[in-house]
Parts: sequence; C-alpha cells; structure tokens
Amino acid sequence: MKLAPDEELMLEVRNGAGDTLGVLFDRYHAPLYNFYAKLTGDRTLSEDLVQEVFLRILKYRQSYQPGTPFRAWIYQIARNARVDHYRKTPKHITYEPEMSPPVMPKDAAQESEEAALLHRAMMQMPEEKREILILSRFQELKYEEIARLLGCELGTVKTRIHRAIQELRQVFRQLESGVIAKNSDSAGPKSIPPRRAGNEM
Amino acid sequence: MKCEQVGELLPDYLQGSLNAQQGGVVEQHLMECADCRDEVAIWKKLSILPMEQPSEASRERFEAMLHAYQTGRAEKAESASARGNRAAGWSFINWLRAPVGAVAWSAALLVIGIFAGNYFGASHSGSSDEIAAMRSELTNVRQLVVLSMLQQQSASERLQGVSYSQREAQLDPQVVSALAHTLRYDTSVDVRLAALDALSRHGSQPQVRKDVLDALQQQQSPLVQVALIDQMVEWRDPDAAQRLRNFAQTPNLNPTVRQRADWAVSKLN
Repeated sequence: MKLAPDEELMLEVRNGAGDTLGVLFDRYHAPLYNFYAKLTGDRTLSEDLVQEVFLRILKYRQSYQPGTPFRAWIYQIARNARVDHYRKTPKHITYEPEMSPPVMPKDAAQESEEAALLHRAMMQMPEEKREILILSRFQELKYEEIARLLGCELGTVKTRIHRAIQELRQVFRQLESGVIAKNSDSAGPKSIPPRRAGNEM
Repeated sequence: MKCEQVGELLPDYLQGSLNAQQGGVVEQHLMECADCRDEVAIWKKLSILPMEQPSEASRERFEAMLHAYQTGRAEKAESASARGNRAAGWSFINWLRAPVGAVAWSAALLVIGIFAGNYFGASHSGSSDEIAAMRSELTNVRQLVVLSMLQQQSASERLQGVSYSQREAQLDPQVVSALAHTLRYDTSVDVRLAALDALSRHGSQPQVRKDVLDALQQQQSPLVQVALIDQMVEWRDPDAAQRLRNFAQTPNLNPTVRQRADWAVSKLN
C-alpha cells in the first residue's frame, strides 16, 4: 500500500477534512517533539508547542498553498510557534541543564556519560547553532530544505553547519577534559554527573 | 588541501553527497588532520543522543483539541447557516460519527455553551463581533483543552492541564472556576498546589481572590493550607484577616498551620 503524500493530506485538511489532520499528527508529532525537546531542553514546553503547531495548522489551513512542500511548511510553523512563545514568556536562564537524557541501558554507563556530556555541550551552544545542528542531524532535513526554512543561501547553511560542528566539538572536548581532571582528582565514582565541570574552566 | 577548504566540503561529506573524487580528497585530508577528523567524530557521536519521545497523553490531547475546534466551528457555522456554509456539514457529521470520548463530549458541551452564550448574548452581532469572535477562537480552544484536561482520571494529566492554563495571559471565568474547583476538591495534593500556583498569577481578578479565600475552609492537607495562607499574606487581601482569625479557631487544626494562621493575621493587621 502506498501512503498518501503529506501534501495531499494537507490539501484535504485545507478543504475541510479536519480528521485527516490526525494522520499528519501521527507522522509529525514525534519528530517535532524531538526537535523542540533537543532545542529547549524542556519536555513540558515541548509538548505544549507541538499541540500549538497543530492548532495553528487548523487555524491557518487556508494559507497552505498547494504545491508547497508540507515538511517545510510545518517546520516554519514550528519555528514561529517557538519564537512567539518566547516573546510572550521570556526565557529564564538556567545554568543547569533542565533535562538529562532518558534512561540508558544499564551496561552502557560509558555511553550514557558521554551522552550526558554531549547533551550539556549542545545546551551550552548558542541557540541558532544548536538549531541548525538539530535540523540537519536529527530531523533529517536536506540542506536545501534548511536553507528555505532559514531564508538563506545553501552555501550559508553549509558554512553555518560546519561552524556549529566546530563549536560543539570545542565545548564537548572542554567539558570532557574537565570531567577527566575531576575524576582523577577525586577518584570518586564515575556515575556522579559532572555538575561543576563547566565552572572549573 | 587545507582545513578551510575541506571544511567547505565537510557538510556534504557528512551527508554522503560528495562525488567520488571530492570524497577521496576529504578522506585523504582526514587521515592527516586530527582536528578535522575529530569534527567528523563529533558529528557521528551525536547519534548517541536518543530521539526524544512525546508522552502518550499527547495524542489524546490532540484529539481533544481537534474535536473542540471542529465542534466550535460547526456551532459557529450553524449559527450562520443562513449563508449555507457547507463547511459546517463535514465537521458536524464527522464529529457525531467519531468515537468521541468523555473528554471530547465535555469539551463539546462547553463549546456549545460558550458559543450559544456569545450568540444570544450579543443579539445584534455585527461584523466586528465576528472578527472578535474569530480572534478569541484560538484562545477558546486552548481553554477548552485546559477544561477537559482538568477532568482527566490521571493526576498527572490534570497537572498538565493546570500547567497548560498558565500559558494564557488572561484566564476565562470558566477556567478560573475550574481551577478553583480543582483547588478545592482535587484528590491529589500536587494538583491542588499547582492549581493554587496557577491562580496566584491572577490575583488582580477579584473572583480569583475570593476563590482562594473560600478554598481554605475545606482543605484537609496542612501543606495546601499553609500555601493558601501564604498566598493571602502575599496579596494582603483586606478580607483575609477576619477569615484567618476564624480559621485559626478551627478545632483539631494542625498546630503548625494554626501557628501560620496566627502569624498571617499579625502580618495582615
């Protein structure tokens, strides 16, 4: 069975078949949630924002132009929803990551520690760099799609991705060396999260 | 080749979209340059970050939103049915046919109430009223979702409903009264405390203050009692002092709570 393309479904929604939106919800709510969760580090907010996206799709369905790639359109709405949210509720600055990665398999303690560090490194990056990394690495958007989404040239997208990788690498390696130094200093158990590593540099 | 030039190719290399010749050049460089190699390593390492999964309530919440929205639209279209709006047909029929749960029904009944109220309330609705109605539609739907979530079985979903209500700058009187009801009667202390927290942001509304004052008498949990007392002190409500004085006389009151009430009375006088 061939699945109906998103664009076709969205046209149905646009023409009044509201229930069809459920199919699009099934396809997109998990990726969108992942996008928001990785970007904001706040799970409750991410759930709210996902709901907001689908409410906006209903509300503005007439503005969907036939022929527009749906994926680009929904990510555009998603970015706007987040911007509007922060306009209404200014961000409170947190020094501790609000969200640690979910439970890992028990035998993967090493990997889990690395994931925690990587997560912290991501959260320490400026938001626009974090966003472009998430879009390209986790949301499986093509560079062309990202360029359209961000309203810039393809070349610019590639440059920005490369810079973001450079910065992530730098932050991550710094955090890592902080942890290693700390572990060898205190010889404490490895499972304690390296909370203060960031301040020691 | 220099790192800078390789850097330009790197994003395409990572997506596997370089041709064989360019790919070979990049790989040659990676063998020689530890820094660039590390950049590739970091990119690959990102795969250890798990995909974040939304909660199961997410789909339910979406359904509630969809039904509330469709029903709201159907009602509105129906009230304008003189114009023969066909859009009303599908949503209303689909809605009737759909396997609606308690959530959707309660939301539906509420939305009927709201739109009927709006419709009959404004007897000579002109076009400016319609625009205002459309503008408030989005807010209405969100508030309906709050209302239906507050009626869920699971405490964590009610808690979510309370926290969702905090995204609104202005609370609808119905939401206020639902939160007040939650504050009084919810079985979970956590949910009651969250409801108080949500209401505390709207202390400028007299009804909210009254609801919080009224909630004190029925509370059993000392935790909530103390939180309510503290809230009254924060608002410096003129009516609160007398109420608290009476409250402090209640027999079998937890000593800590009594002490807190006495302290609050002295603060308020």
